[in-house]
Amino acid sequence: MEQIKDASDMKKFDDDDGNRYINRIIKTNLEVFIASFLQDKQMSGYDLIKEIFLKYNVFLSQGTVYPALYSMAEEGILQAEYSKSDMRSKKYSLTPIGEEIAQKNIEEFVKAMDHAASLVQKGMR
Amino acid sequence: MIKSDICGLEKMLGAEILPGSLILVTGAEGTLKSSLVFSMISNHLAAHGDHGLYVTLEQSKESHLLNMNSLGIKKRDGLHIFDYQDMRREWKDREPDLIQMTNEVIDFYKDKYDDLTLFSLDSLNALYSYSGEDNLRNKIYHFFLNLRDKDLTSFLIMESPPSRMAGLLSDFNRPERFLADGIIELGIIEGKGGVKRYIQILKMRAAKHAMEKHQITIETDGIQILGPIYSAAPKD
Repeated sequence: MEQIKDASDMKKFDDDDGNRYINRIIKTNLEVFIASFLQDKQMSGYDLIKEIFLKYNVFLSQGTVYPALYSMAEEGILQAEYSKSDMRSKKYSLTPIGEEIAQKNIEEFVKAMDHAASLVQKGMR
Repeated sequence: MIKSDICGLEKMLGAEILPGSLILVTGAEGTLKSSLVFSMISNHLAAHGDHGLYVTLEQSKESHLLNMNSLGIKKRDGLHIFDYQDMRREWKDREPDLIQMTNEVIDFYKDKYDDLTLFSLDSLNALYSYSGEDNLRNKIYHFFLNLRDKDLTSFLIMESPPSRMAGLLSDFNRPERFLADGIIELGIIEGKGGVKRYIQILKMRAAKHAMEKHQITIETDGIQILGPIYSAAPKD
């Protein structure tokens, strides 16, 4: 994965008007997004910040992402281990219970977003 | 709040610390600053069932808990510990603004737990050293303001030189002593009975308090405050 050179470079995209709804949705539902990313692979806080930036052009600060990871680990949703290839980096993955919770939360989230979108569209007609 | 959370503290405090107060806990190394604060918060949460946040800037959560366990101090449910170790390792070359980040961490836990009432930072010195001197007074002022706005009773741990006199100039250059509602000093004193640890309340807004140094000890069931120590100057 390419190294992030400067976090402040990423911040300029954060204020982009086109992204503001995505930005808010991700920030207010961060644990759902983290769980969805971790369904496929183990990731560190650094990996998540980078991946969310690359996919959505949204820069999340470390002070937002790391407490969410710690909190999910405290609740038994995530487990963490130091990467064998890079001892600097703690990789997170879903626990078996976490997988069930994540699946349920993701389904509910998608349903709620679809519903909200249809309500907005109806209102526009 | 807090008065009944450490055995013997009621002898020093005439009234409860007001919720939302900002208390500075100062002292040299090995004077039980972290242990006292961790105990107070942990015991308070155990008795009241609300939530607290303990932010440690230099120690890992695991090493901090190991240290507390060795002193017979248990972490209670509802106490969340946040350390910066992973973040600092992963963002080695680009350390973020720690004051801003600490505010974000507090926001996260405050959003998650409506009843987050207690906050502790270990230590203010570390926050200063990683934040640079640029506009530091202003940043600290706003950091303190944010803690008050969030109605958190906050304990800010600050390492100081062994004797208050020795640290006089540097101490009084800093804004935290003026801005804090209370100052608790911990130290080591040499008296007739040998070397003892003491606790002294130097300032506590809206609460009458004893001014004498009281002996503080660690027993098998945690921290205890004993009677006043009548002795000479603190050990340098």
